[in-house]
Amino acid sequence: MDNQKVLQDVTKEIELASSQEELQIVKVTYLGKKGRITELLKSLKDLSLDEKKSKGAEINLLREKVQALFEVKLKDLKILDINSKLNTEFLDITFPPPEVSAAKVHPISKTFDDVVSIFGSMGYAIAEGPDIETDFFNFSALNIPEDHPAREMQDTFYIADKDEKGKPLVLRTHTSPVQIRTMLNQKPPIKIIAPGRTYRCDSDSTHSPMFHQVEGLFINENANMGDLKGTLIEFCKQFFEVQDLKVRFRPSYFPFTEPSAEMDIAYEIIDNKLQIGKGDKWLEILGCGMVNPVVLENCKLDTSKFQGFAFGMGLDRITMLKHGLTDIRSFFNGNLNWLAKHGFSLGEY
Amino acid sequence: MKFSFSWLCDHLETNKSPNQIGEILTNIGLELETLSNYSSYSQFVVATIKEFKKHPNADRLNICKVDDGDKLYQVVCGAPNVKEGMKGIFAKDGMYIPGTDIILKKGKIRGEVSEGMLLSERELKLSDDHEGIIELKKDFSNGTDAVTALELNDPVFEIGLTPNRGDCLGVRGLARDLAAKGAGALKPLDYEKLDNLEFESPISWNIEKDGNSCSYVISRYFKNISNSKSPDWLQNKLISIGLRPINALVDITNFITIDIGRPLHVFDADKIDSLLNMRKANDGEKINALDKKEYQLDSTVTVIADKNNPLAIAGIMGGSETGCTDTTKNVFLEVALFDPSQVAKTGRKLGINSDARYRFERGLDKEMIEEGLEYASYLINKICGGSVSKNTSAGKLDKNTYVIDYNFNYFEKVIGLQLSSEVQIKILKSLLFKINKITDKSCIVEVPSWRNDVLQPIDLVEEIIRIQGYENIEIKSPYATHEEKEKVTSSLNNKKFSVTKKIKKTLISNNFSEVISFSFQSEQAHNLLKGDSSLKISNAISDEHAYMRSSLLFNHLEIIEANRKKGFKNLSVFELGPVYNDSKSQENILFGLTSIQKYNNKHYPINKFDFFSLSELISKIINSLNFDMKNFNIDRSQSILFHPGQSAELRMGKKLIARYGKIHPVILENFPKLSNTFGLEFFYENLPIETMYKKKLNKTHDSSFQFSEKDFSFIFEKNQNLFEVHRMLTGIDKKLIQNVEFFDDYNSSEIGDDFKSVTFKITIQSDEKTLTEEDLENVHQNIIEKISQKFNAKLRS
Repeated sequence: MDNQKVLQDVTKEIELASSQEELQIVKVTYLGKKGRITELLKSLKDLSLDEKKSKGAEINLLREKVQALFEVKLKDLKILDINSKLNTEFLDITFPPPEVSAAKVHPISKTFDDVVSIFGSMGYAIAEGPDIETDFFNFSALNIPEDHPAREMQDTFYIADKDEKGKPLVLRTHTSPVQIRTMLNQKPPIKIIAPGRTYRCDSDSTHSPMFHQVEGLFINENANMGDLKGTLIEFCKQFFEVQDLKVRFRPSYFPFTEPSAEMDIAYEIIDNKLQIGKGDKWLEILGCGMVNPVVLENCKLDTSKFQGFAFGMGLDRITMLKHGLTDIRSFFNGNLNWLAKHGFSLGEY
Repeated sequence: MKFSFSWLCDHLETNKSPNQIGEILTNIGLELETLSNYSSYSQFVVATIKEFKKHPNADRLNICKVDDGDKLYQVVCGAPNVKEGMKGIFAKDGMYIPGTDIILKKGKIRGEVSEGMLLSERELKLSDDHEGIIELKKDFSNGTDAVTALELNDPVFEIGLTPNRGDCLGVRGLARDLAAKGAGALKPLDYEKLDNLEFESPISWNIEKDGNSCSYVISRYFKNISNSKSPDWLQNKLISIGLRPINALVDITNFITIDIGRPLHVFDADKIDSLLNMRKANDGEKINALDKKEYQLDSTVTVIADKNNPLAIAGIMGGSETGCTDTTKNVFLEVALFDPSQVAKTGRKLGINSDARYRFERGLDKEMIEEGLEYASYLINKICGGSVSKNTSAGKLDKNTYVIDYNFNYFEKVIGLQLSSEVQIKILKSLLFKINKITDKSCIVEVPSWRNDVLQPIDLVEEIIRIQGYENIEIKSPYATHEEKEKVTSSLNNKKFSVTKKIKKTLISNNFSEVISFSFQSEQAHNLLKGDSSLKISNAISDEHAYMRSSLLFNHLEIIEANRKKGFKNLSVFELGPVYNDSKSQENILFGLTSIQKYNNKHYPINKFDFFSLSELISKIINSLNFDMKNFNIDRSQSILFHPGQSAELRMGKKLIARYGKIHPVILENFPKLSNTFGLEFFYENLPIETMYKKKLNKTHDSSFQFSEKDFSFIFEKNQNLFEVHRMLTGIDKKLIQNVEFFDDYNSSEIGDDFKSVTFKITIQSDEKTLTEEDLENVHQNIIEKISQKFNAKLRS
């Protein structure tokens, strides 16, 4: 038999095979136990040693070539099979996903974070105090004696239970009691902020029975009103993200600070939107002042040596101003549609 | 505090405009709230009621024909004071009514056409008076604009006074402060002392020594006066700030209260006895006050009484029976000094907010007592005639002045601004402080009698900077010292804050939305949760908020239910906030709640959640905080919030770290649509936060040698804690056992009711070599032996 003829035949048959099964049949026809190439090898046994050598080498070469052809074809057929299977696996990729809004962080949380980080960079550590306070911490230590009209500046919630002195416990009306707690527990220098929940019995679109404040306190030997001004202006610039911020400080009264001030920032309405930083209208932002020596004495601090300033602001209020929100009640009613619109996604937090 | 510009000009010679005055007031701490501008009121006009008749379909309404000088309009009007020929203020179709915040529309009222409206003072925002429509006293011609007719061209200021500035509760006090700031010159008070005091007062005073609030009282008796309407100038002043003129005597006392901030009282002398007594009230005594209400008194209240009855509540309000009327002939004027804190206490107790109380409780100028007496006497005598008695008084007026040692350097130390002693003195003098014993460094400052809020050197610093102007305080850059920064990083609270932030992030990425709810809970929730009785709020705003919350569960159930009703799909929320164990102990926790609703979507089954999802979430939180679940114990939770069989608590040592599980069906009785709800309470404050920051990240295992996996099934006693088994397995051979994963469990009658079969997979791998069959077999045997012995378990073949 002619090797060349065998190669021609097998090449043609491999080409014609259209499945792995057909290819296998061709393979058996040539390379199986009784296959044509196997038969060629068997036929060598009758030949002389020299002929065996030369012919045998030729047939083996042929066999290797043929095997290679089979492998190439087999690979092609497998890919063909995979591709034809894919056709049966098509999904309706246009099937619309349900609209599920992503979970959000509450805007107040974002403000807490900003406040902690801005004041943190100025060296203010976080301090804490309880929501249910004694008369001493919430009022009298802060120089707000009983029957003083200043108590009526704040509508107080009372708890039916009494403190050790027999006075009704209160829900703290401001975060200022944390000032007292800190000064009684730490030695100056003291530099703290105290963000937290506060309570007053009042409810309308700008007042909620529960709201949030942050208190700040800086006590050392020389912190003065110029430092106070600088600190608060810097905070507002960073918080409201306005570099060129028009502000004003005007005299006010808080029993626990002297002199006391309120800080206003300028605003204007452009296209029905509140723009903070310039204009000729003023928004009240916070109350502040130099800690009243009476308060320092109440906290057993030496007033000839130590002085400092304190400030307090409504976190809900600055959040509303920054993000253009108008109704404080929506902060606390758990409306998830509102949150989806006004909350912050993980990336923004 | 309300006053008009012309009223201010009675006391202050100024060339400033009303707007400028408003700005200056704010800058010196007397915050301008509103400065009225009534120019838009010129659209309203004077009109006469030509005739009126009863509305056929409504008893209280009248149909009026109103003439505005142009034509006749039909107006349906409900005011009780309409009469023929009366002149009022008329608004037409399309005009904006400021007091009701509506635009007037022509229409039918009970079937009768109404083409406009006759306005009350409240509808014009001039006062709260809504008892009837405005009746013009003077004869203006129809069509005259309302600004002219009501004399509204005098701007009215309203300022918000801080409680320390009792001295500015009179127009004169404001003028004094404005003059100090350079806004003008203070004019002398416009009155003359009477020199014809002829007779002894037939009524005299006694102050009981029973601790009542009066320290001094002085009076005069006015004989044969006539008390009719007060003159126009006086009426107009009162009207300009929204007060209603009544009669001359009442108007004079009201005027003096506003003008110089001095409340005083006039009795009809013929209705009282000849001896008046300042005393504490007897328990159970009653008085009918001028506000037409009856008040029940007790021994904390000071009253002015005659032989029989209390006549007035001291410093707060007079009685209705002894007040002056049109027919009053003889008058007894009382000017007294009452203790501010007692007045405040009484006022609060009786719930009376009067102009007098407001001033007395803020502390009055004790020297003004005589000025008030003279000023009132002059006006009464001038307007009502008659003759005036000599003074009669009781008690003692303390005339000592208050002095403060003041060191000039103190100003710069506090304010951070250099200001010479000359300028400081000049400012104090402008505020009428007297300065004595001036040296280079200090002086003695005598505080004027009206400034009883100025007590210490710091108050003088405030006075000086207030007038110098806060805008002159130098702005200093904020700084943080190295030590301060160190304190921030090492602060436990700051660490806690970042822990909460990490937990929040884990929850948000698991689709829980952050909410903030009130720290309150309803009485019903309080009872169900067995909250501590000390958490009751005495003056709660509603029953829904009657207690401080002992759990966040009900707040969040309400939130989820409300959102479910709106069709919101993803009902998973969490909150970081306090719960209260009792009135003295508060814990800040993280609470999460998720409710699983039926949701059929073949391709997007988003609502798959069960106890084990929750367990996995807890594990994610723990891992995000760099803790290993192996450090914790898990047990069944005893909490009444949860399904007893589908809830767990996680502890580290004895400290409770988390409780979580399916919400108890009994609690969900009122929320039938939320039957499949899961909650978690995470007590992050109980974590060892300090050590967590010190600990390095767990070394992760990384080996390139071949690993082997082997599954084991054991039969355990039914209540065996698998968490303990897990911990034991990971400890058997720390070098070779790299992972243990429990992946199957089942019960069957074949195993028996008291047992359970559990299957876990062990991953074995060495860092040093490829393990032989023998090595592996040793590990397997070790596991089988230890687990069987320790937990009385049987390997299933």
